[in-house]
This record gives sequence, structure tokens and C-alpha cells, in this order.
Amino acid sequence: MNKELSSFAARLREGISNCQFPIGNFPFGDFALELFALQFENNSAYRKICTARNLTPDTVKDWPQIPAVPTSLFKELELTSLAPAERTTVFHSSGTTEQKPSRHFHCTESLAVYEASLWENFKFQISNFKPIAAVADTGEQSVIGNWQLAILTPSPEQAPNSSLVHMFEIIRQKLGQPDSTFVGWVDAEGAWTLDFDVALAALTNPHSAFRTPQLVLGTAFSFVHLLDFLAEKNLRLQLPAGSRVMETGGYKNRSRTMPKTELHTLVEKFLGVPRENIFCEYGMSELSSQAYEVRNAECGMRSFQFPLWARVRIISPETGREVADGETGLIRIFDLANVFSVAAIQTDDLGVRRRDGFELIARAQLAEPRGCSLMTA
Amino acid sequence: MNLPNYFLADLPPEAELTSVMVSSACDTLKRNREKYLRPRATDDIVKILCEVAVEWLKPENRFRKLALEFGPLQTGFSRPVLEKGLDDFFRRFTPENFDALLKQEFGSTQRLDGFADGALVRAPKLLVHIAAGNLPNPALMSLTLGLLTRSAQFMKCASGASFLPRLFAHSVYEADPKLGTCLELAEWGGGNADLETALFAEADCVTVTGADQTLAAVQSRLPAKARFVGHGQRVSFGFVAREVLREETIAENVSRAADDVVAWDQNGCLSPHCFYVEERGEVESDKFASLLALELMKRETVEPRGEITIEESAAIASRRSLYESLAAHRGDVKLWASRNSTAWTVVFEHEARFHFSPLNRFVFVKPVAELKDVLKGVDEITGKVSTVGIAAPPETFSELAKQFAHWGATRICPLGRMQNPPLTWRHDGRPALGDLIEWTDIEL
Repeated sequence: MNKELSSFAARLREGISNCQFPIGNFPFGDFALELFALQFENNSAYRKICTARNLTPDTVKDWPQIPAVPTSLFKELELTSLAPAERTTVFHSSGTTEQKPSRHFHCTESLAVYEASLWENFKFQISNFKPIAAVADTGEQSVIGNWQLAILTPSPEQAPNSSLVHMFEIIRQKLGQPDSTFVGWVDAEGAWTLDFDVALAALTNPHSAFRTPQLVLGTAFSFVHLLDFLAEKNLRLQLPAGSRVMETGGYKNRSRTMPKTELHTLVEKFLGVPRENIFCEYGMSELSSQAYEVRNAECGMRSFQFPLWARVRIISPETGREVADGETGLIRIFDLANVFSVAAIQTDDLGVRRRDGFELIARAQLAEPRGCSLMTA
Repeated sequence: MNLPNYFLADLPPEAELTSVMVSSACDTLKRNREKYLRPRATDDIVKILCEVAVEWLKPENRFRKLALEFGPLQTGFSRPVLEKGLDDFFRRFTPENFDALLKQEFGSTQRLDGFADGALVRAPKLLVHIAAGNLPNPALMSLTLGLLTRSAQFMKCASGASFLPRLFAHSVYEADPKLGTCLELAEWGGGNADLETALFAEADCVTVTGADQTLAAVQSRLPAKARFVGHGQRVSFGFVAREVLREETIAENVSRAADDVVAWDQNGCLSPHCFYVEERGEVESDKFASLLALELMKRETVEPRGEITIEESAAIASRRSLYESLAAHRGDVKLWASRNSTAWTVVFEHEARFHFSPLNRFVFVKPVAELKDVLKGVDEITGKVSTVGIAAPPETFSELAKQFAHWGATRICPLGRMQNPPLTWRHDGRPALGDLIEWTDIEL
């Protein structure tokens, strides 16, 4: 294990835990340049790309210049500083039909960073968008503790290579009651599906009688499956007051697509969770931090925001430069928590720049293929 | 644009179409066809179609001028690309070519007019077209074939794609108003059940061009009496034989390859996604790729690519970013790309497996040792290939064509002509007119 990267990981974790997210100061630029130099040094696959672009620690003066690698490259190359023997875990991109999945390698230390990053960020979301300091003042336990979880994905045993399932498992361990459960499973084709009986049992758990709030975590397509089932059975649940729903991810041909507003309306109708208690996450296996959709208090506009240790830039696909506020481009993320892989990640998702966040353009909203020539995105 | 209101597509955008309007338009079309179109002689129709084409080819023609002036905004193609595409299209309209088409399809030029050699052919009374949105030629060709068979026609254009079919229909109307009254054009987003149910109820035959799921959706909703003719998604590619990779012929072949990429900005099913280039020619395959890049750069200054959507642009940027990174790792991957734009991209890759291009002038050049490698590389798209454009000396062209034909390609042509099929072209390997009509045999 590279000592400098390990030391960086330890300092980053400390920074993440102490940064009074989301209002604290975080020395992002310094961290970013230091990490770039370390990744350039220790990640040979990445170094070749940087060198070919003539962007090296000698020439890069500010973090936005750090060369980003496309998410699709994780399918082609081993973008890691970890030696084969050090890799204890690998996260694959979701999707069952891909011949070559993305591979994001992890070790104990990198997982610790991932877990710190996801937890500190999630904690803020679940505390109803209050800064952690404010939560602490009121007694964090009251906000964080004792949720009844229903997780609409397969369990970590069934999906050991899913970064999302790993994240849900960490959340379950941190704040779920012991019988909180995963209600999905992996079918014979490798696709994720729901065990509706188990899901229904989890959502109508006897704990509800004691008004323990439910936290339902799942992908957008798993919610569509669940809502279709509830509609078919004509079942309308009323989760206890204070219950929350978190949905993430696109559809990727695994269920019928549904505009987000419609999905949220149906969640409200069939689960009895009001819209303000539904929150959306944006993440991927190639990252170690997530963005959550928040409402800007001043303008009322909703946008995805990363935590202080990850920054986003919206890049014009035509010019490769950052777009102006309100314009659309490709989402590029600089995620310091990707310590042992590559911090600068170029996604192929489109977003509208909203100040320092972005509004995600759902895949379903993208133009339909036109005409007679086959194209794949 | 100041065109008279002949067609539903001429109505202002705020006018809302109803199923009653569609049904009533179909009634009118059928009545007009009985009066004005069915009694006409084939020679007469061919004459008018050729006159229309001659007019379109004149620089001062008002429909051409409108097409070139407003086309870039309406269609997303630059003026030179539109000009070239439309000229290539209308140049096919000659009496000889129409005769050849009729003979090919019906064995005689007279069978639409009466019995000839024991048979005549009958066209559907109302032919409905569900047209695709990517490029105009297939829609114009559908209207032309329908006029030739003397069917009344209702064309449903994709949202935002009625501009050129409209101009063409107006030009027919101007040349012969009676013929014009047998055409109807409208524009709406596909899948509008109300309007489409009304339309399909009146149709004798429905042609659909577009995505496979569009075809399936339409087919499932047709009444039993309506014949279905579908043209689904297809792809094309080129093959360059080592014999033509010589210093004295390379420039010409590169220019032809560029013609095929530039035509309609590579948007049609006849446009090449990639060129397979044989190795060990006098000029190496990567040189071919670099020369093609240079040629595309030059073309951008004279036949610029049109505006594309942010999604299309993002698809190109994502692919470029991947190949740029791979190029840093592998000597056998190279990338040439326009600066500060996605206008053109050439990816050279030692990987015979066919890859879909994001199009809009993004093309792969793939070196292969021999033809066998190409056939293996395109195995996954068997049955989905329209055109193979070949650059090879005359003595090997036919043999290569035979091999691609047996493999399943439905059209083989010389490189440089991929987007310019003749009037007699059998779309997707199906008869050009034969699927539209019915025969009556007579035994004396």
C-alpha cells in the first residue's frame, strides 16, 4: 500500500468528519492538487492519459485543469493505484446486459473513505437538510437513530459488487433497527427485482404501530416496480409520520420510465410519504461521493449538490469548456474520496448548471432516437 | 414562408388537429383520387414528376430557394449539405429511370394503365406514410412512388420534420393542382392514438420508416385490411480493398469516403458507421484514416455539418473522450477530431468488431487483414445492414459484392455513392413498388 496515499486517505477522512458540512471551510483546491500529484505518481494507467494531454503535476496549477477520465474507461483499463493483491473489493457498474462492466477497485482504506463520505453526506440529508452542527445541538440521536428501513435492492450477499448496495448496507448498519431489511433479489438473468411479499411485510412492519418512521431506499426502477405492484393490488400504505423515501439512479431499460414528478406523486399516493420527505440521490460506481437534490432557499430551484469534498463542473460537449450558469453540458466530477482510483471523472450524463450544483437531465428526457439509422448512446 | 394552406401541415402551429379533420381529409383524398388521379396514364404522371424535378434543379426555383433559405434552421442540415442531397435526389428523376423502375417492378411500363401480357397492377386507394424524422429523401421518395402508382396519400411527418415534404408537395401542387389535391401532409408526435386510429381506419396500405419500436407499435394498431410495409433501423459500412490503397488512387478514394460521411451528415441508414480498410496496401490503413480526417476537416469549411442537439453532441464527446484515453495507452488506437467543436471525428482502431457510431460525422476506420475478418466483425449486425460501399478494382468488385450479398447486405455500391441510391433501389431488399400494389391476372 502506498504510504502517501494512505496518509492522504486518513487526512481526508478526518477532514470529512470535521468539516461541519455543509457550511464549513474545506481546503478543496489544496487537497485536489496534492491528490492529483499522488495519483499521477501511483496510477500508471492514469499517468499515461495525463502525459498524453500534457497535463501533469508540473503544468496543472488549479484543480479544474486536472484531467478527467471518462466513466466508460473503467470498463477498459484498471484505473487504480492498488496492486492486484491489495484489491479486496470491486464495484461494478449497474446494468445486467453489459458485456464488460466498469471496475472500481477498493481496499479496506478506500472503503473507509467511501463509507465516511457517504455517511457524513447522508446524515445531513436525513437530518432534514439541517447542518450537522444544528443537529448536534438538538441531540443527533433523536434525528439519526431508530429508523425502520426497507431497502428495495438485493442484499450485500447477493450483490457484493454494487457500490449502491454497499452504501445502503452502511446506512442500515448506522441507523437501521436490527430487522431492517433488503427486499430485493437477483433473478436468474442477474437482473434486480423485488420480492413483493417481503417488501410489503417490511413496509407494514409492526414497528409502524409504534410510529417508528420508515426509511425506504431504492433505485427509481425499483420504486416503479413497487408502485406498479401496489397499484395492481389496489394497496395504499400510510407510512408513519416522518418517514422518508430516497430514490436514486436512472432506469436503464429495467422498468418503464416515469418522469420524476409522476414518480413522486405516486410515492405520495401509495406510500403516504409527502413530497418534501422524498429525496433524490445521484451516484455511480465510479465515484465515492454522492450528490443529493436540494432546494435553493432563495430561488426555490432544485439542484443536485455534492458535499464539500467533491466538486462538479458542467462541460460543453462541443468546446470542452465549462458552460455558463443555466446552460446544459456533460457532468464532470472531482471527487476527492476517489483516493485510490481517479478523482476527476467525466460522466456521460447531461445536466444544467445551477450555480455550483446541477439539474440532472433524466435519460428518459433525452431525445428519442430519430429515424432509421441505429444508434447506441 | 408564405405558402398557401393546401395541407394540414400548412396550418399555423397553434391549430390543433382532430380525428374528424383527419377522417375528413382522407375522404377528400379518396374522392379526389377517383376523379383526378386514377384515370391518369403512367406516362403522364412520369412526365409531371420529371418536370417537378427539373424545376427543383433550377437555381431560381422558388421551392428550392425556400428549402435552402429556411432548411438549415428547419432541418438541421447546412445549406451546402441540403443542396447536394436534394440535387442528387432530383437528378434521379428522368423518364428513363422511371421506365427502368416500372419494368423492374412490374415487368412492363404499362401495367398500371391496363392489362399487359396477362396482368395489371392496382395500387391502394389510400396509401398512408408514417415518415421518419432524420432526413427528407425517404419521405420524398415515398410520395413519389405513391404518385407513380396513383394512390391518394396521407403522410404523417415526425414532429418538426414536415418542412421538405411540404415544399415537395407544394411543388407537385403547382405543377399539377389536381395531383396536388391527392396529397395530404400533417405533422404530429408519433403515437397520438386519437389521430392515428382515425387515419389507420381509412388506410389500405401503411408504410412506416423509422425505429423498430415505432414499426412494431404501428403494426399492432393497424386494422386487418391495411397492408403494412415497414422499413426499420439499418446500418451501413464501407470496405476499401488493398489494391486501391495506392499513392495515385488514395486521394480519390479518401474523397469518396468523405462524400459518404458528409452526405446528410451521416444521419441516414445508408451512411457508413465505419470503413474497413485492408492492411498491407501500398498506403497503410492508418494513413487512410489520417487522410480521411484531413479531408473531413476541409469539407467542414465548404460543406459544414449542421447544428446538432446537445444529446448528439454529448454522445460524440463521450466517445471521443474514451478513444482519446485509449489512444494514450495503445499504439493501435488513434483519434483525429475537430477542435472546439464536434464537427468531425475519425477513430482508427485495430478491432474488427463493428461499433455503432454516434453519427454526425463520427466515423471509425478499422484495419483488417482480409474480408473474412470483416464478415466476422459485422456478425452481430447480420440482417441489420443496408449498404456496403466498396472501393476495389473492377476485377475484384463483383466477387466482393457477391460475398457481402450472400452474407446479407441488401445493397452494394461503389464508395462515394452510399447515400445516393438509384430510383430502382429496393429499400431493405424489398421491391420498391411491389409491396404496395396488388396484381390482377387475366386468363383469356
